[in-house]
Amino acid sequence: MSGLREKILTTASALFQTQGINSTGVDTIVSVAGTTKMTLYKYFGSKEVLILEVLKQGHQDFQSWLNDKLSTNTKKPGEKIQKLFDYIEEWVTSPDFQGVGFIKASAEFPKEENPVHQLSSEQSLQFKQYISHLAAEANIQDADGLALQLSLLFEGAVQAEQMKRGSGAMKYAKTAAKILIDGALTH
Amino acid sequence: MEIFDSPWLIKMLAKSSKTPQGRLLSLFDILDDWLNAPHLQKTSNLVASNHSQLITFCTEQAKTLGAENPAILAEHIVLIAKNAAQQTLAPQALEPLNQNHLAHAKKAAHALILAQTQKTSAFSDLSQSKSAQYSIAASFILLLIVATIWLTLPTQTHIPQSKLAQNNPIITTTYAHEKGLTAQDATNMYAKYEQMRQGTCQFPEALLIPDKHKAVYLDNVVGSNLPTTLSDLAIANFYLEKVRCNFTPMLMAASK
Repeated sequence: MSGLREKILTTASALFQTQGINSTGVDTIVSVAGTTKMTLYKYFGSKEVLILEVLKQGHQDFQSWLNDKLSTNTKKPGEKIQKLFDYIEEWVTSPDFQGVGFIKASAEFPKEENPVHQLSSEQSLQFKQYISHLAAEANIQDADGLALQLSLLFEGAVQAEQMKRGSGAMKYAKTAAKILIDGALTH
Repeated sequence: MEIFDSPWLIKMLAKSSKTPQGRLLSLFDILDDWLNAPHLQKTSNLVASNHSQLITFCTEQAKTLGAENPAILAEHIVLIAKNAAQQTLAPQALEPLNQNHLAHAKKAAHALILAQTQKTSAFSDLSQSKSAQYSIAASFILLLIVATIWLTLPTQTHIPQSKLAQNNPIITTTYAHEKGLTAQDATNMYAKYEQMRQGTCQFPEALLIPDKHKAVYLDNVVGSNLPTTLSDLAIANFYLEKVRCNFTPMLMAASK
């Protein structure tokens, strides 16, 4: 990947997170990245393509970070689901947490036919499927049901945290997740 | 979704249940009914609104419930309901599992209520190790036996199941009505649920139980959901005693 492309992507990602996607203009992105509009359009074609690329990259980074954490800190695959919210809480409460890309993007682009909205819904689904996979590894019968419950807890807590930093919503989500996981494990 | 801002929703919630927990959780049932009603025009498009009236109503319920942080509980529950309602309306391709989103959302919300009403982290410590669970279970069984004897003394030592309805069992509910469970109570109940899961259990038929106890029985005994008030706890404990469990398979498994 070209260094310049990477730089535009990182800059745009940081600006979208801090200023919002709609309120960050292409002009701002190129001036912060120290490049030109022409270069941006050469690599990305349009602002929409850039947004989609930023989302894809962000989701990939989040998933691989979480996967690494879970793989290196558990001994058995069945333990991963129990640690999931520990790492999520750690991440959401860290001072440099800026929100979750796909949750923010979905709110900024509420129309279902919009490609950004569609991608964020797909990423939300992928995350749910990831949780379902962890639940299945722990031999939980209704893995999809538990995954839906946990993803609702997670997304709601992130939204609450995005509205008000330090809300503590994730702390309660973590305890609630534990109650649901323990319930599902013994059934 | 405009329904989240409608006074109708709050009116429906207000009359839905006698308990604050019931009123909070009814949100999911009412939305489910509403989304399934055929004649209504529904869109999943987000309207920028913070649903302040609904949040205020839910915060009041959360306060009555004794939640640690009522504002956050209310906010989180409304967010969960909204997300689940939107997922219900989302195109099939994005929701291939075709689940009952609001029913699962209700479970998640119920767990959040528990998370906010358990006074300490005793619950999470409890589930750390199986052996801790068993030792706690063992010590509480003793307590349970004492409690049982005390509870059943005024009636008969053994009430045949078929007579449950007529006898209208005396259950000590001298506690303040809305008083929540302590961590100790919660630990105690979870130990009993765990114990029940280890065996094959026969539950008394719900038909034989007086109406005013039926909901508690189904939810807190059969459903293994933690009661929220001490009076419900007393009722649940009474019926837990009526559950007959056979633990042979567990013993056989342990002797291998």
